[in-house]
Amino acid sequence: MTAVRFAGISKTFGDIVALQPTDLDVASGQFLTLLGPSGSGKTTLLNICAGYLAPSAGCVIVGDKDVTRIPARARNMGMVFQNYALFPHMTVFENVAYGLRVRRIDRAEIERRVTDTLAMVQLGGFGDRAITRLSGGQQQRVALARAMVIEPDILLMDEPLGALDRQLRKDVQLEIRRLHIARPRTTIYVTHDQEEALVMSDRIAVMRAGRIVQAGSGRDLYERPLDVFVARFLGESNLIPGIVASLDDGTAGLRVDGLTKPIEGRATQGLCLHQPAFALIRPESVRPIADGIQATVVERVYLGEIIALRLRLPNAQELWCRRFAAEIPDSPTQAIGWDRAAVSILPELSPEERNQVLC
Amino acid sequence: MAGRVALSTFAALVGAFLVLPILAVIPAAFNASSFIRLPPEAWSVRWWSVFFADPSWRRALFTSLQVATLACGLSVILGTAAALGIARLGGRTRQIALAVFVGPVIVPVIVLAVALYSLARSAGLVGTVTMLAIAHTMLALPYVALNVGVSLAALDPRLAMAATGLGASPARVFRTITLPLIMPGVIGGAVFAFVTSFDEVVLSVFLAGPQVKTLPVRIWEEIRVEYTPLVAVAATIMIGLALAAAAASRLLQRRAA
Amino acid sequence: MTRVATLLLLAPALLVLGISFLLPLARLIGMSLSSPAGALAPYLELLGDDVYRKVFWNTSLFAVVVTAVTLAIGWPTAFALTRLRAGPKTLLFAAVLMPLWISVLVRTFSWMLLLETNGPINRGLLDAGIVEAPLSLLFNHTGVMIGMVHVLLPYAVLPIYAALIRIDPALLRASEGLGAKRSTTFWRVLLPLSAQGVTTAATFVFLLSLGFFITPALLGGPSNITLSMLIETFVNERLNWALAGAASVLLLAVTLVFVAAAGRSVQIARITEVR
Repeated sequence: MTAVRFAGISKTFGDIVALQPTDLDVASGQFLTLLGPSGSGKTTLLNICAGYLAPSAGCVIVGDKDVTRIPARARNMGMVFQNYALFPHMTVFENVAYGLRVRRIDRAEIERRVTDTLAMVQLGGFGDRAITRLSGGQQQRVALARAMVIEPDILLMDEPLGALDRQLRKDVQLEIRRLHIARPRTTIYVTHDQEEALVMSDRIAVMRAGRIVQAGSGRDLYERPLDVFVARFLGESNLIPGIVASLDDGTAGLRVDGLTKPIEGRATQGLCLHQPAFALIRPESVRPIADGIQATVVERVYLGEIIALRLRLPNAQELWCRRFAAEIPDSPTQAIGWDRAAVSILPELSPEERNQVLC
Repeated sequence: MAGRVALSTFAALVGAFLVLPILAVIPAAFNASSFIRLPPEAWSVRWWSVFFADPSWRRALFTSLQVATLACGLSVILGTAAALGIARLGGRTRQIALAVFVGPVIVPVIVLAVALYSLARSAGLVGTVTMLAIAHTMLALPYVALNVGVSLAALDPRLAMAATGLGASPARVFRTITLPLIMPGVIGGAVFAFVTSFDEVVLSVFLAGPQVKTLPVRIWEEIRVEYTPLVAVAATIMIGLALAAAAASRLLQRRAA
Repeated sequence: MTRVATLLLLAPALLVLGISFLLPLARLIGMSLSSPAGALAPYLELLGDDVYRKVFWNTSLFAVVVTAVTLAIGWPTAFALTRLRAGPKTLLFAAVLMPLWISVLVRTFSWMLLLETNGPINRGLLDAGIVEAPLSLLFNHTGVMIGMVHVLLPYAVLPIYAALIRIDPALLRASEGLGAKRSTTFWRVLLPLSAQGVTTAATFVFLLSLGFFITPALLGGPSNITLSMLIETFVNERLNWALAGAASVLLLAVTLVFVAAAGRSVQIARITEVR
């Protein structure tokens, strides 16, 4: 198992900056997901790791070796492509065996390893099948087997589940997760689906416009996002705009138009006094409080054991609230509030994205 | 409905117009007499024996096959390589390269013939198999390159990327991935090149010599003087070969797909 | 490294094309300008002499007429290909493609056999009492016309067919849904949308006709000298390379003008695709 380090990696295509200078560490055996919308640079970074793209600057270090100048075919990385890229004129067995043949591994060994790997992805006995006779889910697993059987230093996956239907996607996500736990291998996974990232990853790097906005565990990103973009990207959020009224030792107060008291919460890096910011309150943190703010119930959505309420505050600000049905009485108005500990005060853009640190 | 009947009738008439006249050559080759009568008054295969007994006709047939094989081989190898090369070019360079390759298709064949004949004369290469093979290669190469180019364009670029990522060298990628998948295009181009060379008249007429002539050249010379069923035999052989090639092409392409 | 590879891939083909195509053409153009009587002398002679002008005129006129006739037959044929059911369609397709595999010499020869005074066509017409004396179908305009139309018809059908199948059938349905009669849909939707294919077909057939050598030489009479036949006499009988070169350059120039005008040299690649 090897670790990967990206040091100062950037990529420009003519006038277009696909990747800003980026640093990223992936620990040995870690499952890291690059999460972001299209155009965020995540696939570019993956392709640079694989060696299909040369970076404009910076270096890629695998283990303790600088592989930046080494061509793709010498990097011993297993890549799973978005559309699988299975060789249509070969059987399942021949596809999976391809990398082993290139490495001149002897026949018996190839037979053994391919059979084992196919069994591992639940495709035992499919060796003689033609690629064109496989379903999407089966093709995806052949692609995975092909990448894993060569015992790569790093496993790379480029939105491999995009073409599968919802249910199948969920099943395969869990399967990949299980495979990873059984045999940890340094993996870099690219997706735009935040749920997928949360299910599968040890660590997530959220990307936007060519740079990593925040990297951390799923929990870190969900509970302590660094800015509005990350907050919105992972999970549901209520974002209330206001001006920073107080900033003091980890706590900030946000003055909001129309509300008598400022909203207080955990201060995030990069807040500046008297500058605009947002209060992040997750819908599950909004709850009925006896002496809370009076809000009108605008919409009531029944989700089984959960009820989602769209509430309008006195200043016309809208909030979503998600609680168990039992906690919400059936009235047109509701007094609501939240714990200060559940609130984060965020800048719109993290300091790095604004290219400024001081206020 | 009347429209449909009219259309079918029209289609049948056009189809007949296109095919039947060509087939008229075949019965002509089986005339017993020494002049051609269609349909023959008496049928015989004697002119076929005459054909294969005549050294000049045999030599012409052999030369045609020889030149066609050379032209086919050359144009397939050069044309496929060229298609691979052109696929790697971008923008203006590619346009220019394509223009050069499309050239022999656009320029009228009489111009090509006169130009090449002049050069061959100064080089003393008129009436050689080499010159004929080169000339036919020039004609067939663009078609092979374009045909293979189309197959290449239809190929998913990620397949080569996947093979490379698995450790394959460029030569290996070509051998195990690219070539098998473009094979139908290559085969189609190869058969077309062979038939183009075998059928070729104008360039061959100019570049032929007293000892070295292709079958079409021999036919051309005979026709302008007098024609006996012997010429029809030669023409029938040409038709037979062309149709066999067309059938072989389809068969081989289907198997390679 | 990869640039070297690209160069190596292209080099052999470019070498062959260089010595068999580019170099000879350049030489020919040079020869056309190296007449002892002056650089432009051969050109002036060609354009000034009545005999030669007549050849240009005949060649062009013939090409235009042949183009018109092949389009007139070719368009409905291409249309039929789009409309016929699978079985008849395959047959017609085979009929259109088959002649393309056969040498132009053989195709022309077959017409020589059919059109002669004692040939099957004349005998058939005489026996049926349709005519009283055999028609003169050979060694004149008629023979050349029939032969050229026969040879060039597939080249007209294929581009038009390619254009027709690219037309979205939804457009025709839309037209009918808006209340148009069948003939209106035909004239105002189908025909205009096939225009690109018609242009390609016309250009292709016209240019091929201009350069035709074998067919007019075998099927035509003394008044059917085409430009390419003229070039051949310059080379083989008169050994006048300057004139041959000049006439070739003129033919080439006209060809290039039309190709550029149609702007569709890529369509030629499409023809090989359909094969």
